Amino acid sequence: MTDIFKLENVTFRHTPTAPIVLNGMDLVIEEGTRNAILGANGVGKTTMFYTLTGVHKPQEGTVYNRDVPVEYTKDGLRSLRSDVAVVLQNPDEQIFCSLVEEDIAFGPLNLGLERDEVERRVSKAMRDVRMSEFARRPLQQLSGGQRKRVAIAGALAMEPKIMIMDEPTAGLDPQASMEVMELAEKLHLMGVTVLISTHDIDIVYKWADQSYVLYGGKVEFAGHIDEFYSNPERVYRCGLLTPSMFNMNRDISMLDGMDVAPYPRNCCEFTAKFGKPSRSGKVLCVPVEEEEALGKYEEVMKDMNGVPAGVYGPDARFALRSKELEYQFDAIDSCFTDAVRGKDAVLFHDPIYSKTIEEQVEKLKAIGFDADVEVVR
Amino acid sequence: MTEPLLEADHVTYRYSRKGPKVLDDMCMTIEQGKKTAIMGCNGAGKSTLFSVLNALYKPQDGKVLFKGSPLTYKHRDIIKMRSEVSILFQNPNDMMFKPYVEQDVAYGPENMKLPKDEVEERVQEALFAVGMEAYRKSPIMKLSYGQRKRVTLAGVLAMRPSAIIMDEPTAGLDPQMAYEVMELAEQMHTNGVTVIMSSHDTDLTYSWADELRVMHGGKCMYAGEPEPFYSDYASVQKAGLLLPSVFMVNKTLSDLGKCSLEPYPRAQSQVSLKIAEHQDVDLGILHVVRADRDTDVAAVLEENDLNGFSKGVYGMSARFAARNTSVDVDFLYNGPESCTMKCLDGEDSVLICDPVMYEKAISSAMFINSNGYGKINIDII
Repeated sequence: MTDIFKLENVTFRHTPTAPIVLNGMDLVIEEGTRNAILGANGVGKTTMFYTLTGVHKPQEGTVYNRDVPVEYTKDGLRSLRSDVAVVLQNPDEQIFCSLVEEDIAFGPLNLGLERDEVERRVSKAMRDVRMSEFARRPLQQLSGGQRKRVAIAGALAMEPKIMIMDEPTAGLDPQASMEVMELAEKLHLMGVTVLISTHDIDIVYKWADQSYVLYGGKVEFAGHIDEFYSNPERVYRCGLLTPSMFNMNRDISMLDGMDVAPYPRNCCEFTAKFGKPSRSGKVLCVPVEEEEALGKYEEVMKDMNGVPAGVYGPDARFALRSKELEYQFDAIDSCFTDAVRGKDAVLFHDPIYSKTIEEQVEKLKAIGFDADVEVVR
Repeated sequence: MTEPLLEADHVTYRYSRKGPKVLDDMCMTIEQGKKTAIMGCNGAGKSTLFSVLNALYKPQDGKVLFKGSPLTYKHRDIIKMRSEVSILFQNPNDMMFKPYVEQDVAYGPENMKLPKDEVEERVQEALFAVGMEAYRKSPIMKLSYGQRKRVTLAGVLAMRPSAIIMDEPTAGLDPQMAYEVMELAEQMHTNGVTVIMSSHDTDLTYSWADELRVMHGGKCMYAGEPEPFYSDYASVQKAGLLLPSVFMVNKTLSDLGKCSLEPYPRAQSQVSLKIAEHQDVDLGILHVVRADRDTDVAAVLEENDLNGFSKGVYGMSARFAARNTSVDVDFLYNGPESCTMKCLDGEDSVLICDPVMYEKAISSAMFINSNGYGKINIDII
């Protein structure tokens, strides 16, 4: 696998007399992975992102992009940044235009794309973050969470190969946070390398393959996060806490003399492990393209009296927005939790997420629960 | 039912004459002395409501009542109300008044015309409370977002208000700082302050709040205890929220017949023991050291032979005492829960605790003991 980014012994301070922020940091990010960057406030997460994208030039050490050292020339930086989109923590720092749709179009226009292509991307990105109805609104009139969504849409419209999101869910309501994670998952499935820094340990615990914990200007831990969380004193030292699923799993497993692994990371896995479910309800998975979604919905649901339905993915959600589905957000977990409960559920989803659903089924299998899944073509 | 502190009575507010109604004929009551969480999706009108309650905005329709009397919007009345009700805005940059940390924190008390010594004492205490003593002389511009957030909180604490409205106090904070803020909110509550908090963190607020107010489309769609609201998933979804993980796990496992639905656990350790089957295993002892500011914690630990156990701290006087006697604390944040979890692992733990916070500190252990889910011996020192 290619290394998208590599930091080798990187040291950075903002001014010659300022404290060292990155202190001989080593880091490798592999292409196509889901990465979480964790650490206390002020530990240097944002500075690290700026170093990866060539905004900061380190005083020592080397930054590699696809195994080539970054050149801090106009051309070198342009080629690096044409691949990367960044969502900053504070949306007000990346507002370029006064109206929502103009602001989102700013990046694609700068890429020199055709007018039609820009329009297509902008309207798609606005829909993905549910801001279409605000297209002509001035950004000043939006709430903090809405401005954040506009910033995310701007990054999506760049169609980058690498997506860096600095605290993308801070200030967002729970459903909007789930939507952002759903979009991050979609980018991952499209082959984009995704880096997310966040304080929401619970939300990334469910999502990331690779986690990096920053402490004292270095990468204190890199790998599968369960190993890190198993040492509470170390977790505390790094300014973090352990996710609630991790804590409850560890305690109950210990009390009941079970193996702590496999680690459940969401509700369906947790209840499958500890609820001793007798049989699985059926999860009817319906992959739908946007145009056919409504028709499929009518067709599948007509014989489904009282069976709850969920939707996963921005296109399917948009197509089914007039239907009052039971699970609008976090629907994979909700539908499989129903299966654990012995109840049936229907899951409409964008076709691209079939792989995510397969992963969920595999994880449940590892816990000892065979979910009954039928895919409707 | 306690007395209402603040009431919105059919309040309608729009930012401009042609703009949408951000608050739409909204009615809501905040009771004195309660811990109230205000939740709702982005754009539901939470921050606007706070500005209306604090008389920053005057509603076009309806009334705001403070302790039963309608606001007059006269300068003197507003000043009086604001001396009792402080507001902590979401974005710390909106409430920085002075260039240096200590000046900024002193700004409120100085405006209250307090004597110099009193101002100094309050500034010191407030900076200690938010863990920013070391930054006293720092320029605010050089602080990170999380640090600024803590400085603004110190500024509000230094006013010693009888009620505090906190708009998203934990957003952008790392998990430990978020718990520090929740501890301060609990401390203020035990000191008799009415605490009102908006937040998107359903897990944090569920472990803390007595009362829930849910806003949607400029109206208050739910007022009451959290559980009835979370039991109605359609409403939860409509409000833009999700279930707290503790609630969701308890509900699903009770559906599976693994446990009863009630009593509702509000913390992770409570869920763990409620669900675990082998409840007769030996649990560790929770040693609670009730520490006043001048308690020699090191000596107490020595005397009772407690130095070998993991130690947590909870509450202001306990933090003072632990620091003054240089005790090594393992769990500086989320102390009660972390110590209780140690007990679940079969190890003793020590919780150095502010006496006024005692009840909250042992609440998880009491939940476990009184419901017969296990026996955590509580050793009070």
